[in-house]
Amino acid sequence: MKNIILRNRYTLLLTTLTAYMAVLVAEGAITGREARIVDFENPFFDLSVNNFEQFRESRNDAGDDRRAERQGDRRIDEDDDG
Amino acid sequence: MTNIVEAKSLRKNYGSFTALDGVDLTIPRGSISGLIGPNGAGKTTTLKALIGLCDVDGELMVAGRDPRVARHKLMRDVCFIADVGILPKWLKVSNVIDYVEAVHPRFDRKKAEKFLSTTDIPAKKRIKELSKGMVTQLHLAIVMAIEVQLLVLDEPTLGLDIIYRKEFYDRLLNDYYDGNRTIIISTHQVEEIEALLSHLLFINKGKIVLDALMADLSDMYTEVLVDPDMLAQADALGPIHIRELLGKKSYTFESVAKDQLEPLGELHTPTVADLFVAKLKENRDG
Amino acid sequence: MDKFALLQFYALAKREVLEHRNLFVGAPAMVALLILVASIWVALQLEQAELAAALEYLAILFDGLSPFDMAPFFMLLAIPFFATLYVCSVIYLINTLYQDRKEMSVLFWQSMPVSNLQTVLSKVFTIVVVAPIFYVLIIFALYLIAMIWLTLLGISNDINLVGIGWMFLAALTSLLFIYISAFVTSLWLLPSMGWLLLFSAFAKKTPLLWAAGVFILVGFLEDFVFGTQYLANWVESRAANPNQYFIFDFQSVFEKLFNYDMLFGLLVGSILLAGAVYMRRFID
Repeated sequence: MKNIILRNRYTLLLTTLTAYMAVLVAEGAITGREARIVDFENPFFDLSVNNFEQFRESRNDAGDDRRAERQGDRRIDEDDDG
Repeated sequence: MTNIVEAKSLRKNYGSFTALDGVDLTIPRGSISGLIGPNGAGKTTTLKALIGLCDVDGELMVAGRDPRVARHKLMRDVCFIADVGILPKWLKVSNVIDYVEAVHPRFDRKKAEKFLSTTDIPAKKRIKELSKGMVTQLHLAIVMAIEVQLLVLDEPTLGLDIIYRKEFYDRLLNDYYDGNRTIIISTHQVEEIEALLSHLLFINKGKIVLDALMADLSDMYTEVLVDPDMLAQADALGPIHIRELLGKKSYTFESVAKDQLEPLGELHTPTVADLFVAKLKENRDG
Repeated sequence: MDKFALLQFYALAKREVLEHRNLFVGAPAMVALLILVASIWVALQLEQAELAAALEYLAILFDGLSPFDMAPFFMLLAIPFFATLYVCSVIYLINTLYQDRKEMSVLFWQSMPVSNLQTVLSKVFTIVVVAPIFYVLIIFALYLIAMIWLTLLGISNDINLVGIGWMFLAALTSLLFIYISAFVTSLWLLPSMGWLLLFSAFAKKTPLLWAAGVFILVGFLEDFVFGTQYLANWVESRAANPNQYFIFDFQSVFEKLFNYDMLFGLLVGSILLAGAVYMRRFID
């Protein structure tokens, strides 16, 4: 058996691919699933230029209230809008 | 076991081209064997088969192992140098030595460095910056520092100039060969290694056409410069090859008793090169 | 595994890095250099006041926050590096079992007592474990330079630098996530890696053409014979969207490594790798 497989590179390629396909299709048929495609989302930051302008203006007015400003400017959006 | 290589009816096809057409081969331990044949005769295929680099049909044992089953185990006992310039070009000389030291259990770094110090190969250069001759020297230095039973050389001096070629074989014979190791050399330049060999193999069109010890050659083959009036008798004895020499005819005989030949003319042992031509022509005609 | 085998494996991995130093060190270093040059150029375009404001914004943004929470921000900055690693990995995998056959140095490699299995495993190991280390080190160097630069800017503009310190901590933490992400993602992509290696070991020329061509052919065949598109779907999730396996927190490492999909991927990837190992016998 091993000899037959190893006799020729084309036979070996075909054997490998057949085994691969067989496992793939069998698994697909048994579990009945389609591939999972998860879109990439970035749920972590939204650092927009508008915010920055806002921040710069406010920075010019308020000197001591920076801590408070910071809370307002930081955006951590955790919503999954996918 | 006295034979380090035993092969029976090796066959190999590349598509419709038959590279090996039933090669039978035995190589005794401790011999220096020359595998000699024209280009495309199957030399490289035979040697690759011996070290498990190509699949062949037939029986094959090298150093007590079937090379087709576990090449990496066999390579602890066998070293191989192919036609010049197969060392990876992007490696530095020191990288090559580091690598071989790490992967080969029988490599002696000191020996290799000692050998390299006799050459002018700089350790920091990359292989691609070295000349062909230097690459071969480096490869030989590595191989000579490995304690193996069998060394396989496939056209090792191809493309080198005469100085490197002579030095290569001198080193091999004087610094490496110790009577226990076996060396197989393939070449199509017979004259160069004739003096080295203890065992002679001719290969042509995928078949072994001659397998003899050098010591037996003078008993087996005789070249006769036949006197003009003896030509008919000479023809009757069945020469394997006839050639013109200085206006006379020179006949080569195989396994014909010397006392039968003596009356025909002047006897001597053919050179390996002449014998090679004779056997090849015989093979082609027959 | 004995010590010699480990040393042997180390030498094999070292060989891969030496041979492909352009892909593993040169390419990410080039990306880092581009990013550095671009940011210096941007900084030079800004007015002094704007630059100071931006710096302070960043400092305040990060001040006092957990580096683990802020690390994902730097994962986004690392996307060019991930993209480079992805492209370089494809180039590496499709060439690695082909190049040495083409230039005949395979005769040297194969004349050493190293098995085909060791060779192929060392290549997988290089991509999964070793290559990301170099990428992370180069990103680290980039962050270090950026940090020093920002510090100098901060001092010259009289800005409170504590926040920059927190930012640097977050950046360092992100390196850990970057490494783990690269590792987990490459395991997720093992079937694609196996596919490339198989054709790298098989093709007598143009391995990439073979890999793509056979994929299309087999995909059509599957559709025609079984009426399914598992292979196409498969590749869409296994090659087209590698970022789905990025790691942003430690809790998800375990569940992303040990789930049915991942383990099944490792299984079929191994079939292709086994094919590549046996294919390595055909060197001419």
